[in-house]
Amino acid sequence: MSEVILKCDKLTMRFGGLTAVRDFSIEIKEHMIFGLIGPNGAGKTTAFNMITGNLTPTEGKIHFYGQDITGLKPYKIVSLGMARTFQNIRLFSNLSVLGNVLTGFHHKLKYNLIDAILRTPRFYKYENEMKEAGMALLESVRLADKADFKASELPYGERRKVEIARALATGPKLLLLDEPAAGMNPQETLDLMYFIREIKDKFNLTVFLIEHDMKFVMNLCETIAVLDHGVKIAEGKPEEIRTNPDVIKAYLGDINA
Amino acid sequence: MKIDRNNILTILAILVFFLFVWWGSNHLTAYAVRVWEDTLIFLMLSAGYNLINGVTGQFSLEPNGFVAIGAYVTAILILTPAQKESMFIIEPMVPWLANLHMSFLPALIIGGIVTAFVGFLLGFPVFRVRGDYLAIVTLGFGLTIRVVSNNTITITNGSLGLKGLPTYTNIWWCAVWAVIAMIVIMRIVDSAFGRAMKAVRDDEDAAIAMGINTLWIKQIAFVTAAFFEGVGGGLLASLITIISPTVFTFFLTFELLIIIVVGGLGSMTGTALATVVVVWGSELLRVVEQPMNIFGLHIPGIPGMRMVVFSILLIIMMIFAREGIMGQKEFSWDWIFNKIKGKRA
Repeated sequence: MSEVILKCDKLTMRFGGLTAVRDFSIEIKEHMIFGLIGPNGAGKTTAFNMITGNLTPTEGKIHFYGQDITGLKPYKIVSLGMARTFQNIRLFSNLSVLGNVLTGFHHKLKYNLIDAILRTPRFYKYENEMKEAGMALLESVRLADKADFKASELPYGERRKVEIARALATGPKLLLLDEPAAGMNPQETLDLMYFIREIKDKFNLTVFLIEHDMKFVMNLCETIAVLDHGVKIAEGKPEEIRTNPDVIKAYLGDINA
Repeated sequence: MKIDRNNILTILAILVFFLFVWWGSNHLTAYAVRVWEDTLIFLMLSAGYNLINGVTGQFSLEPNGFVAIGAYVTAILILTPAQKESMFIIEPMVPWLANLHMSFLPALIIGGIVTAFVGFLLGFPVFRVRGDYLAIVTLGFGLTIRVVSNNTITITNGSLGLKGLPTYTNIWWCAVWAVIAMIVIMRIVDSAFGRAMKAVRDDEDAAIAMGINTLWIKQIAFVTAAFFEGVGGGLLASLITIISPTVFTFFLTFELLIIIVVGGLGSMTGTALATVVVVWGSELLRVVEQPMNIFGLHIPGIPGMRMVVFSILLIIMMIFAREGIMGQKEFSWDWIFNKIKGKRA
């Protein structure tokens, strides 16, 4: 069996008296597409924010490739190989598409401020290297012809792709997608599904995503965990989840009530 | 540095600029030269201010504090021990400072470095807050500097200030420093650091999620700005030859704010244009402060009337041209050549 890449051990997040997530434990293995679903306000994004370091869990531990990353700063977690996108696309709207992607390379920048001010050969070498790598990345997501466009000029579906490309630029092993299909029409959703499969193979990724769109999740993910009121109520293959009475209850209410 | 078309043109432009400075220093009136000196110093101050406010998007109000620090440090270093002894009449100056004396260039650089260091220390507490709160705490810093310089009598001579500074500042000093400031700042903006600064401006949380250490990026912008504002303070001190706690008030910050907003937040070439427009504009607007007769109605001279006019201009600007002269765009040679060839810029 392949290696465990992410392990959450009894994560609990309390905001004052409110417990947003309680005893959340999952294990994600390499090269899988793992989905986290649940009704509104179930604590999915909170769980995400704990993993990416935006929130420090009240209790519990997070291990990434065996390393304890609980409480690390988000930018440090990125340099370990974890990247994320946001529920509401958050591009750098005044930078070009290429510029957005280039920011993903910043954490492994190979020249310093003095190089930039004096314009040393090192500056030109690595600046060109980054731009080539950025273009290659855009090429592979078929956005190379839009490289000079301002990010805010693109249509919604493409902006989502740019956001994913930007996350890919950080060189992740684990990609976290927060509701990637939100606000997309069925055709765009379908495209996105193929796109995620494609980049997963191309970049050798493990994908962890939150989603509302059931069809999307059921078709894409190999394993699904269900969160309700901050508690994990089920985990398993799509067909198991589909027929799980607890999950149906969480989504549709108790049939016997 | 690469030798290509753009760099050669930039070098030529700088040579033309210095040729103008040389011509101006010989042929312009003393008044015009003085206004150009002001313009160039303000260019340096506002370029630094735009780096932190426009490029990095951290709305802060501290430049008058930085300028004051640079001015005091430079002033203390260029005054002779004899001058200092006769000036400090309330309490004598602390001995190690009283005997310190050096020429202008090292004094300016030390002024800049001390200011940069203060900026570095200040950055840690103030960048814990964002947005309006940042503006408030940095505004507080400017006021703090004023109170401190008023009360550290053995260093700054308190409210009496420092007088009779040697007038080293001439148009050449201002021109060279302004060019250095513009080159350094524009090169930072046009690098991975500048991209990271713009990323912080557009969406700080997303920047963090991209692995950018945002505190560090803000610090780079802040410290660079502080250095040039400190050097600018030193140049101003030697130009006006007298400094006291009330010289560098919030109005200085306000004037710089007008410049960078008029020029376009985030555009350095826009800042350069706006500096010329605002500094020369405020000279030409001296007319409105003179007593005048309009259709037999006598209006006495009202000092400060220029500020009223400027404020109105700023409001009009905010309504009709929110982006300023240049917006976030930069003048570039590529842009010119694309225009000539008729391509999309």
